[in-house]
Amino acid sequence: MSAWSSEKGEGGRGERPRVVITGMGSVNACTVGGTEAVAAALARGRPAIAPVRAFATDGCRSHLAAEVEASMLSGLLNRETDRRLSRVCQLAVAACRLAAADARISGGPELGIVVGSEFGDLRSTEEFFSAFLRRGSAALSPLIFPNTVMNTMASAAAIALDARAASVTINQATIAGDLAVVRATALVAEGYATTMLAGGVDELSPPLYRHLAALGALSPMQGEGAEGCRPYAPDHNGPVLGEGATFVVLEELESARARGATLHAEVTRGVWGNIPTAPHTAQPFRVDVHSPVRRFLAELAPGLPTCCYGSGNGDPRVDDWEVALLQRELPEAFGRAGSRPPRSLAPQFGQHGGLGVLRVVAAALDAARERRPVLVHGIARGGCRTSLWIEPPP
Amino acid sequence: MTRVVISGLGVVSPYGAGTKAFWEGIAAGTCAIRPITLIDTEGFRCRIAAEVPAEAVAAFDSSPRRSRADRMALAAAREAIADAHLSAEDRAGAALLVAAVGGGMLEGEAWYWEEARMGRPSPRIRALRSILPASHAETVGHRLGLGGPKETIIMACASGAAAIALGADLIRSGVVPLAVVGGVDALTRICFMGFNALKLLDTEPCRPFDRDRRGMSIGEAAAFLVLEDSERCRARGGPMYGEFLGAGMTTDAHHVTAPHPEGEGMIRAMTAALNAAGVPAGDIGYVNAHGTGTPQNDRVEASALRRVFREGGVLVSSTKSMVGHTMAAAGTIEAIATLLALQHSLIPPTANLRQLDPDVPFDCVPGVARPTPVEVGLSNSFGFGGQNVSLVFRKG
Repeated sequence: MSAWSSEKGEGGRGERPRVVITGMGSVNACTVGGTEAVAAALARGRPAIAPVRAFATDGCRSHLAAEVEASMLSGLLNRETDRRLSRVCQLAVAACRLAAADARISGGPELGIVVGSEFGDLRSTEEFFSAFLRRGSAALSPLIFPNTVMNTMASAAAIALDARAASVTINQATIAGDLAVVRATALVAEGYATTMLAGGVDELSPPLYRHLAALGALSPMQGEGAEGCRPYAPDHNGPVLGEGATFVVLEELESARARGATLHAEVTRGVWGNIPTAPHTAQPFRVDVHSPVRRFLAELAPGLPTCCYGSGNGDPRVDDWEVALLQRELPEAFGRAGSRPPRSLAPQFGQHGGLGVLRVVAAALDAARERRPVLVHGIARGGCRTSLWIEPPP
Repeated sequence: MTRVVISGLGVVSPYGAGTKAFWEGIAAGTCAIRPITLIDTEGFRCRIAAEVPAEAVAAFDSSPRRSRADRMALAAAREAIADAHLSAEDRAGAALLVAAVGGGMLEGEAWYWEEARMGRPSPRIRALRSILPASHAETVGHRLGLGGPKETIIMACASGAAAIALGADLIRSGVVPLAVVGGVDALTRICFMGFNALKLLDTEPCRPFDRDRRGMSIGEAAAFLVLEDSERCRARGGPMYGEFLGAGMTTDAHHVTAPHPEGEGMIRAMTAALNAAGVPAGDIGYVNAHGTGTPQNDRVEASALRRVFREGGVLVSSTKSMVGHTMAAAGTIEAIATLLALQHSLIPPTANLRQLDPDVPFDCVPGVARPTPVEVGLSNSFGFGGQNVSLVFRKG
């Protein structure tokens, strides 16, 4: 029933390889590094959201974000090969290198990559257009144009890491990173590669920030209440943007064992579905009838997840929708009086394409430390829904 | 393993709306590349493209407030679903994979232009809501009630082919019995200007595999297929246009815009697709080439084809010679061209091909369609970032 599942010891599923997480790398507003650095940042839990420093927000309704300091990124770049990459590509390349080093993998035809992004390289798109409007067709840069296609981050990372198996980019709001991990897990299971770098990336840029604020997509969405990221809280009033890139290394269990890799966790289920909903809307009253996620959670219900990371980012409609769905589908865990909502990492890192992967990373670290499975759940405006079941390493 | 068949087709192409119009156009070898009307081309060397006719767009059964690309996608997906005779219940469990690159950029550009020129905010800012590629899947999924897994795939010009491969995987792995898969891209200023900046556009309609080819021509289209578990399709008496046999997806990891000079990634993609399909290269009777008309792509693709199929071992043609390069839709519209070629035993031609490049050791079906019974065909799609996807289909 699942998009991908590794069901240990169950007949007929034995042919599908089990998929484990063997490394992670992240460049985010809180930290830079592999497993140790990310684990330490998660343990500290210190929010990186602060007034935007990289550009002026005068005239905007919103002024907060979780930014990656220039110095955090510059130290990770190769001056010769990376200097001409756009910033969002640099973020992706740096995080992929950290994840590959963490997992001790090298490139080749069996290494693939899946990148999830909410916005791609809009900075380059804006730069391309503005050059034309200022100086005409002669000013159009053939070097910038390829960056306007959203697979540019995956391409840059594939070149940097020599990843020559399948390379897939997924565009999705709110849960781009979750979806990238689910899809990459499926690609390993389907035999497209033995190892995949799966991650998400986005960057803050002045046009993106201003336009989203103008559209009322950021806290404070309706212009009321204090600006801030308060997922699932009664006074939540919109997301706060973050930026960065986070990647995990997903690998066939046998391959990982054969090379003596560190096994952080196993991804035993990855499902995704859709609750047909008008574009850009969230409908907390709309139930999930057909999506594989609902069926997966129904199967899960008797076992009850004791820990769940959710995609709540402070967008009231989406937060409420997620809670309503989980209360309905996992009533024992979320529907009882006093039940707590899922855990959200948005207040710490800000909303961006890498956030879903940080949820997966947090779940993997929890699963390994506490020797129990962890659920990662996500839903976005428009109805796309994901769920991952992360278990302790075998 | 579950076998996957194609039970529905839908196309919006430069010939107009409908799969029939598309097939009649390419079977006749009609080149639909003409002067651009949608955007201002003043100051650019190339001023032609293959546009979807205005009367076809005006006839779409969707709100004109939606982006052009959303409307094209909706029209093509609707046709595919109607063609497959899918009920509302069928649709509720179907996956949706949409390949896209430009999103609603055409309308986003209009907003940006207006703000830049007026120097103050424009009410057109709402166009930004559908500027991202994911807009198409949201629109199609909502309007057509598709409740299975939903994804927006961006692999540059190989996106459409990848959507087919990934959708078929969902059926083969038992996630869903049905998948609506396709690609869409409307003409945009950024695409037109970008390829002009790269000097990759021919000032005349493109001439793939021609000795004197000078580059590609841009096109726009939406193309969708319904993929289905063959047993299910057979049980319900659904149409079967052909069978999806397998796919290969690889990356060059070489250069952002140029293919690997030896076509290493292309060769691996074709070989992987043949292996996945379980057919030897000798069984392939027709290759619908990526065939853009750029000197570099066609030379490298021909070299890769020679390595896989040996000289002259297969008929090769390029649909882009007639409908231009439809970007994210190219992989799906060319898969449909391949399926229809197998079904009709008629190989669509490479239009505008007058003098075959001596470095292309294949019969590229110049000018006129060729009646030829073929059982198995392969469709190639390659894209920026060294993305390579090959698909193998068997006649229905």
